[in-house]
Amino acid sequence: MLPDFASVIPESKEDALAYLSSLKSAKIFAGGTDLLVKMRRGESYSHIVDITGIHDLKVISDHDEMINIGALSTHYEISVNQIISEKALSLAQACGWVGSPAIRNMGTIGGNLVNASPAADSLAPLLIHDADVVLESKDGTRRMRLEDFILAPYKTDIQPHEILTFITIKGLPGYREGYKRVTKRAAWAISRLSIAWAIQEKGGFYKDVKLAIGSCTPMPFRPRKVEDSLKDRAKDEKTIQVAVGEIIDEIIKVSGMRPSFVYKIPVVKALLEDILKG
Amino acid sequence: MKKIDFTLNGKQTILDVEDNETLLHALREKLDIKSVKEGCSIGECGACTVLIDNEPHYSCLTLASKVSGHDVKTVEFLGDENLLHPLQEAFITYGAVQCGYCTPGMLLAAYSLLLKNEHPTDTDIKEAISGNLCRCTGYIQIVEAIRNAAGLCKCNS
Amino acid sequence: MVGSNRKRIDVIDKVLGKPVFAGDMKADRLLFAVVYRSPRPHAWIKSIDVSGALAQPGIVKVITGEDIPGKKRFGVIKKDQPCLAEGRVRYVGEPILLIVGETENAARKAMSSVKIHFEDIEAIRDPFTAEKSGTLIHEDGNLLGHRKVIKGNVERGFAESDVIVEHTYSTTWLDHGFMETEAGVGYLDDAGRIVVVSSTQNIHYKMKEISRVLGISEDMVRVIQSTTGGGFGGKLDVTVELFLALAVYYTKRPVMMRFTREESFVSNTKRHPLYIEYKTGAKKDGSIQAVKVTIIGDTGPYISYGETVCLRVAVHSTGPYEVPNVHADSRMFYTNNPVCGAMRGFGVPQLAFAHESQMDAVARILNMDPLDIRLKNGLRKGSSTATSQILHDSVGFIDTLKKIEPFWRERKKSSHTSGFGIGCMFYGCGNTAISNPAKCHLRLTEDGKIALHSGVCEIGQGSDTILWQILLETLKIDEKNVVLVRGDTDTSSDVGSTSASRQTYISGKAVYEAARKLNRYLDEKGYYRGRSLGDICEEAMTENNVIFDGYFDPPTTQLDKETSEGAPYATYAFATHMTEVEVDDKTGVCLVKRVHAAHDVGRAVNPRLVKGQVYGGVAMGIGLALMEEFIPGKSESLDNYYMPTSMDMPEIEVFIVEDEEPTGPFGAKGVGEPALIPQAASIINGIQDAVGVKPSQLPCHIERLKKLIEDKKSERRQEP
Repeated sequence: MLPDFASVIPESKEDALAYLSSLKSAKIFAGGTDLLVKMRRGESYSHIVDITGIHDLKVISDHDEMINIGALSTHYEISVNQIISEKALSLAQACGWVGSPAIRNMGTIGGNLVNASPAADSLAPLLIHDADVVLESKDGTRRMRLEDFILAPYKTDIQPHEILTFITIKGLPGYREGYKRVTKRAAWAISRLSIAWAIQEKGGFYKDVKLAIGSCTPMPFRPRKVEDSLKDRAKDEKTIQVAVGEIIDEIIKVSGMRPSFVYKIPVVKALLEDILKG
Repeated sequence: MKKIDFTLNGKQTILDVEDNETLLHALREKLDIKSVKEGCSIGECGACTVLIDNEPHYSCLTLASKVSGHDVKTVEFLGDENLLHPLQEAFITYGAVQCGYCTPGMLLAAYSLLLKNEHPTDTDIKEAISGNLCRCTGYIQIVEAIRNAAGLCKCNS
Repeated sequence: MVGSNRKRIDVIDKVLGKPVFAGDMKADRLLFAVVYRSPRPHAWIKSIDVSGALAQPGIVKVITGEDIPGKKRFGVIKKDQPCLAEGRVRYVGEPILLIVGETENAARKAMSSVKIHFEDIEAIRDPFTAEKSGTLIHEDGNLLGHRKVIKGNVERGFAESDVIVEHTYSTTWLDHGFMETEAGVGYLDDAGRIVVVSSTQNIHYKMKEISRVLGISEDMVRVIQSTTGGGFGGKLDVTVELFLALAVYYTKRPVMMRFTREESFVSNTKRHPLYIEYKTGAKKDGSIQAVKVTIIGDTGPYISYGETVCLRVAVHSTGPYEVPNVHADSRMFYTNNPVCGAMRGFGVPQLAFAHESQMDAVARILNMDPLDIRLKNGLRKGSSTATSQILHDSVGFIDTLKKIEPFWRERKKSSHTSGFGIGCMFYGCGNTAISNPAKCHLRLTEDGKIALHSGVCEIGQGSDTILWQILLETLKIDEKNVVLVRGDTDTSSDVGSTSASRQTYISGKAVYEAARKLNRYLDEKGYYRGRSLGDICEEAMTENNVIFDGYFDPPTTQLDKETSEGAPYATYAFATHMTEVEVDDKTGVCLVKRVHAAHDVGRAVNPRLVKGQVYGGVAMGIGLALMEEFIPGKSESLDNYYMPTSMDMPEIEVFIVEDEEPTGPFGAKGVGEPALIPQAASIINGIQDAVGVKPSQLPCHIERLKKLIEDKKSERRQEP
């Protein structure tokens, strides 16, 4: 049973923003796969603004190395999009793992980010692509780094009258890139942990390493210090051991020693070693 | 209250729905399409699967107001007593049905797959039905049925 | 007809989405009822105030325990469970009130206006605390049942053994996870009788409970089975039926109930968590000399099928092996956890995990092949079971091993973390050591047909089709002459429940017996020499001889109170599963790759349906072994209770062994539960083969498996 609410279905971004600024207790409705579950379990809003009719927000385009992803792109659309597959493979892979086929047809990347589950599959790939989010309201547009946008699990910096309209990422063509996740069943499962990576190597040396580890820290974690330290380092067993050890230390520093780390730390360690080895 | 105008199983349908009404509720209670089942109401079982523009969606997490202007299909679209769809024939022949509760959703997920992929591998089939739980069959005979229907069925026609 | 892959008789409707499940029913002025359930595990109810709920718009009636006109308690074995709690609640989810509204929304909304004042009592959360605690869940203590199986002299057996292997095993709660949640509709018929149509595995039992609780005679109650979306044991106990009957009794209007998945999870019975201490002694040649098993179970606060499980696990504790000295001790304790009841296998899947782990452990110590040790000890014709029952007929266990043998001998690991495991089982078909008859009848109709009147509840497994095939085979008649009248207490006799893998064997035999009688009659009247059935039916009417009944009660004996010696079942099903797994030792993910499953079903009435059962059983076994874990208070719905998807399924090859059971219809036995029982065990043994760790707790999910792998690594490091 859903609580009572009234919905408005604007066809343009401008109309949507106007509604948002005039309504009290309004919630933006995109794919609905998270929101309707929460509403069934007790969340309530007097109004929802169903933005899925706004076609401008479904576009995926690129300009040089920058990729612009409309926030209403579904997980399915991203998983099969050619631009994403060529320049941000880990994101395509991650979106191909979200929920089930129906959930991927329904859920949107913008909704996924605003919901801000620490286990959301799209987060780690977006982080290694240095994603920015674009937030629009009647009063203007602001852009911020995804890392700053997500404040805590299930909590973001989005303001009541704002819509997350676009996500921009840097394409990394030519990188060895991927996404790996671990789940308790083979499909349709929440990630127990996940790793996205994009690595550039030349002649046995790391040129550029980008890693993001999901579900170990309050939000997916990018070990930037270690990434920097790997630059121009020889790709050998010792380098890898040291780097992985430092990443683990950093994770523990961020999160403290959690009970789940009995499982997660050895797994992250083994997976990172594999990933760095290629 | 919203008036929605959509295509349901090939027929134009106009209907008044509540703002907070799910497509599942509208189909079952207002249009009397009881083949769309409720199994969990949170998008975790697949019994309420319908096709929207030929792609599987969970009708329990779809607001009815969203389907205006779209094409919605339920299992009734596939066939009737006089002319079963090849997928339905195959589900019968290969023993893909036990209790029957997941069957309508399963058939729709399979139909959507075959629209896009006339010669799916077993992995393609398993992926396509991975959002539809079945507790009875272990899926084996369902996969067998879909594989065998694939050759026979021109879903596009 | 028998032995053919006849299509299911309900299947055309099902692929068209046409069957009417209970929640699909319609009626004029249909009310909707919801249950207000206890949020506390153990508490005194100090006061109940329903005035707020009654004042809500659209509320027709609020029913409390005080309103129950007849007996207030129900139960399938003993009448111990309050229909609506009065004075005290004993688990989270225990029904307290029934709220009847004009619509589902109205009824659900009114729930928040109920005011109940509770005073908490210490909640007993495990059977070990239950054993010692001074807090009694029931007046006569926290021990529900204690059953023993004693054969030979177990201490002497150990003394004569060359090796002794001792381990403990534990399992947890599981939910049935049927896709259709509990639902039903009740109404008054023209004669003023209470009619309940529901999703159920047992119409006659529910009819009797309604009559007791309403305090009206049984002929004033009618129960009809709606199309049922899976059961697996979870629709044997009363779910919606008593509530519907009460609501109709008070409102005189049609009433619907349909549990949400959350309600289903919190209210339905669960698989029993068992703690099993297992000690096995064997000679150097691999012959098992002695088995000592101590089983401690958590049954929750009410009996349900707890006593049945308590006894069945003791009787099956050795597995399908001949063991001269046995001491099994099974105790079931009350707790304030979920009520545990029947779930596919009545505890035997948990025991199979233990006895099959033990067989592999003994084989390992003796450096014996796991298949060879099973061939050596397996039950065969003339063997004596743990209850000293001598098996004379239909003992196809060795044949199931032999079916698997070529694949086992030729197995090759595909990687250093892949492995193969064997799981075996035997399972008594029918209820344990008690009479459990089935009765059906055939009727010659006015329009010249034969009607089969069956009270068997088809829950998806295909029993209607099986009975149909048995009937047609026996009568040697075209199916256009036959109609099925089913699932209605008004038109059928009591066949007992759809449980214990008993319908093909017991009800199938009753149909066979009735068909034999009719067959003789038709023969006398010249049917098989060309006379028309219509003619014969007319003559039968004039003779007033239109009913031909069939009855079968499998021959069992009572068990000795102290030793359980006796013949608890007339026949047993046997099976061997061989499973190939691939473990990712980095993540703890276990992939089930391939299963070979051999089942002695006596006779496969419909091989495709037999395979369907096995495939479904394998899926449930994967859940039991690797992922399913109901955590009270946390597992709210299917988003945090994972059941296998299509992507979790291996390739499966099924081998049917037909060692005919002389008392069964055309030699048939059961397969519904056997399909599941050995699967988890074979996966666990495969894991041990793959990565050399011994799981002792189910499910062995990724975190448990990874921990075992890490622990083993650090043990190795500590070795000098």
